[in-house]
Amino acid sequence: MTNEELWQAVLGEIELSISKANFITWFKNTSILSNKDGKVFIGVPNGFAKEWLENKYKLYILRALRNIQSDVKEVSCSIVTNYQNSFKENKLDAILPPPKVPSPQKTVLKDFDINQKNNLNPKYTFENFIVGGSNELARAACYVVSQNLGKIYNPLFIYGGVGLGKTHLLQSIGNEVFKKDPDCKIRYTSSERFTGDLIESIKNQRVSEFKDLYQKIDLLIIDDIQFLSGKEKTQEEFFHIFNFLYQLNKQIVLSSDCPPKAIPTLEERLRSRFEGGMIADIGQADFETRMAILRKKALNEGLIIEDEALEFIASNITSNIRELEGALNRVSASAQLTQEKITLKFVSALLSEIVSSSKRGSITYKHIIKIVSDFYEIKPDDLLIKIRKREIVRPRQIVMYLMRSELNYSYPGIGERLGGKDHTTAIYAFEKIKKELTFNEKLIKEMDILKKQLYSLG
Amino acid sequence: MKLICTREKFKKAIFNLERVVSKQNTLPILNNILFETEKGIFKLSATNLEIGVIIKISAKIEKEGKITIPAKLIGNFIANLPSLGENNITLEAVDQSLKIKSGYFKATIKGLPADDFPLIPQKTSDFLINIPSFIFKKAITKIITCVGYNETRQELTGVNMILNPQGFFLAATDSFRLAESQLKLNNENINKEAYEMFIKSKNNIIIPSATLLELSRIIQNEAEEGAIKITIENSQIFFDLEGIKIVSRLINGKYPEYKNIIPKEFKTTIQGEKELIQGVVKMASVFTSGRSGEVGIKINSDEKKVVFEARSVEIGENSSELKLEITGPSQEIIFNSKYLLEGLNTLNTPRIALLINSGSSPAALKEVNMEKETLGEDYIYIIMPIKN
Repeated sequence: MTNEELWQAVLGEIELSISKANFITWFKNTSILSNKDGKVFIGVPNGFAKEWLENKYKLYILRALRNIQSDVKEVSCSIVTNYQNSFKENKLDAILPPPKVPSPQKTVLKDFDINQKNNLNPKYTFENFIVGGSNELARAACYVVSQNLGKIYNPLFIYGGVGLGKTHLLQSIGNEVFKKDPDCKIRYTSSERFTGDLIESIKNQRVSEFKDLYQKIDLLIIDDIQFLSGKEKTQEEFFHIFNFLYQLNKQIVLSSDCPPKAIPTLEERLRSRFEGGMIADIGQADFETRMAILRKKALNEGLIIEDEALEFIASNITSNIRELEGALNRVSASAQLTQEKITLKFVSALLSEIVSSSKRGSITYKHIIKIVSDFYEIKPDDLLIKIRKREIVRPRQIVMYLMRSELNYSYPGIGERLGGKDHTTAIYAFEKIKKELTFNEKLIKEMDILKKQLYSLG
Repeated sequence: MKLICTREKFKKAIFNLERVVSKQNTLPILNNILFETEKGIFKLSATNLEIGVIIKISAKIEKEGKITIPAKLIGNFIANLPSLGENNITLEAVDQSLKIKSGYFKATIKGLPADDFPLIPQKTSDFLINIPSFIFKKAITKIITCVGYNETRQELTGVNMILNPQGFFLAATDSFRLAESQLKLNNENINKEAYEMFIKSKNNIIIPSATLLELSRIIQNEAEEGAIKITIENSQIFFDLEGIKIVSRLINGKYPEYKNIIPKEFKTTIQGEKELIQGVVKMASVFTSGRSGEVGIKINSDEKKVVFEARSVEIGENSSELKLEITGPSQEIIFNSKYLLEGLNTLNTPRIALLINSGSSPAALKEVNMEKETLGEDYIYIIMPIKN
C-alpha cells in the first residue's frame, strides 16, 4: 500500500466520524510525507491545520492508521509549502511599462463610415435598394416620408422578417433627408441602444438630459422596436418622447420583425399609436427581385458571373437577402482565390454545403409531433388517436400543415402517419391553416416559433 | 468565566479582531471570537485560518473559563454602546451564552463551545527582529498601495521581505510600479545569533498584504512607543506587539527579482514642493481619458521649466508650467496619472524629487531630506513610463 492509498483509506474513515465542515477545513491538501518505523509524518498546508490535527484529531488519525497498519506508534505534522507556479516565473520582469490603452479617438476612426451625429451609415440609400413586388409598398412609403417629413405617414411602421431590408429602408430615409437638409436633426438608433442610453441616463441621474436630446429631433428612426417588449420603463419614456414629437409633427419611423399587434407585452397605448400611422410590410423577395439584387451586387463588385450561376444562387437561397449576399460574397472570394471562371458548376460545388444545410434533411415527422405537442402542452399520443377535442384538433392540423409544407409528405402519407386519417382530412387541415396564416397574427407567430424550434433541432 | 474590564480596552480589542474574522467560512466557529481567561489575563482570539490574532487585556477575573461569541454581533453591540456613562464592562459566561453588562446596558449573546475553536499556532523559537512599531508601520503604509490584486500571480498579492545583515527591504509591485522601503537594523534590533542563522538559510519571504494591512491598523499611531518583535518559522510569520500577537502564513512562491529594475543612477532630477506637483498632476488627470490616463511631462533644462500636459479628444486639454529645480538634460516622458499620483501620495516630505533617465526607462520618486538637502535613501517608488 502506498502512502497515498494509506492516507485515502485513513481519510475515508475519519470522514465518517467528524462533521463535513470540519473535515473539509482541516484535511484539505493533506498527505503522508513519510511512513517509517511506526512514525508517520503528515504534510499540512498551514500552521492552523498542524495545531488542530496534532492536538484534536491525533487520536482519530492514529486509530484510523492502526486499523490498516498496526505498527504505527506516532503521528506528527509538518507544514508543507510547494511552489505552484514556479515554471512560469523565471522570465517575468518585475515591472513592465503600463499598457497604452488606445484613446477613444481611434475607435471613432474604426467606423468612420457611420455619421457620428445621426448614427446613419451612408452606404444605405434608396438608389441602391432593389424594388420588387414584396417590398414595393414599404419602399414607396419610406420614400414619400423622406420627401414630406411628418406630414403624410406619421408614424411609419415597417415590419418584415430577418434580412429583408428593413434597416436599409430606414437608413435610406435618414440619408435622403440628410442629403437634402444637412441641418435637419436626424437620429437613427436601435431600440436596444435606446434602452441602453436610457439606463445609462438613469444611472447618472440625467434622465432629463436624455429626454431633451430626443425631444429636439426632427426625424427619429428606431430599428427593431420589438425589443422594447417587456421593458416597461423604457416603453414609458419612449411613449412620452413619442407623444411629444408626434404632437410637434416630427417624423417617427419604426421597424419591427412583426406587426404591432404581434409584439408581445407591448403596452396598449403604444400599440395603438404605432398602428395610427402607416404600416407597411416587407415580404420575402421573389425570384426576380433576388436575381436583380444579385445582378446589381455582381455589377458593383465587377464580378463576371454566368446567368445560370446567378439563377442557381437565387433559386436556392430564398428566405433572406443577407444570406443571398453572403453566398455571392463567398463565390466572389473563392473565385478570386482560385482564379476560376464563375460557372454554374463552380457555384453549385461551392455552395452545396449551404444549400444542403438549408434543406432540412435530418428532420422527420416525429420531430414535428414532438415539438407541436410540447408547444401546446399535450401528449404526443393524443395527436395520433381519434379525439375530436378542440385543444387536440388544432395542434393536429398544425402538424399536418408542417408535414406538408416543411417535409413535402403526400396527403395520404400524412393521414397514415397520424393514426390512419383519411387523406381528405389532411388536405382540409393544410388548406385551413394555410388560409389562416394569411390573417391570424397569433398563428403566424406560433408558426414562426414552431419552425424555429424545429430547425434548431436539425 | 466572569470578569470585569474597562470598556475602552475591550472595544479596541473587539474592533481589531472583528476585521480578522472572515465572512465566508465553511466552519461556523470561524465567525466567532474566542474569549478566555489565562492566569489572571483576559485573552481574546480570532482567526480566518490565514491570519490569527490574539489580544490580551488586563481584567479583574472573578471566575476562570472560556466561550466563543459571534464577532459581528458583539462588534455591533460595542459600537452602539454610548461612550458616556459606565466605564467598566462585566462579562459572564453562563452555559452557552455570554452575559454582558455595562451600566444600564445588558445583553445576552449565544455562543459556541470554546473547545471547537481553532488553536492558533504558537512560535517555538525566539524573535529575530525587534524594532519600534511605528517605524514598521510607516514602511508598510508607503508600499502597500503598490500591491497587485492579480490572482494569477499569487506572489504579487504579497509584500516581499528581503533580509540581510544590515537591515531588511519591504517591496510591493503590481508589475506596473514598485515601491521599496528599507529599514536599517543594528545589534539592538536583532537577536543576533538567530538572525544570522536565519538569513543564511532563507532571506527572501512573501508576506500576505492583508496581514500587513491588519498589522498597520492595529499599530495605531506614531506616538505609541511600542516595539514589534518579528519571528519567522515553519512558513509562518509571528508579530508580537504589547499585548497583541499576530500569526500569518507566508505566500509560497518566488517574488520577481526586482532589484535590477531600479536604476543605479538617473540623468535628470527635478525637485519641488510636493503639494504643488501633486496639484498639477491632479489637475492634468482630470483632462485624461481612457484607462491609461496619460500625463506628459516635458522638462526643459535650458529654460528651467517643467510642463505637465494632458489632452483628450472629447474633453479638451490642459497644461501647467512650473519653475522647478532641474539638474541634468531635458527630458520628455509620459506617465499613467493614477500611478504617478499614488506614488506622490506615498511621499511624506514637503519636498520631493522625480528622477528620470529617458522616456522609455523606469523613473523614480524619492523624498527629499530638508535638513541635509539630500534624497531620501530609505524609500523609492519606481514607475514605468508609457511608451510613446
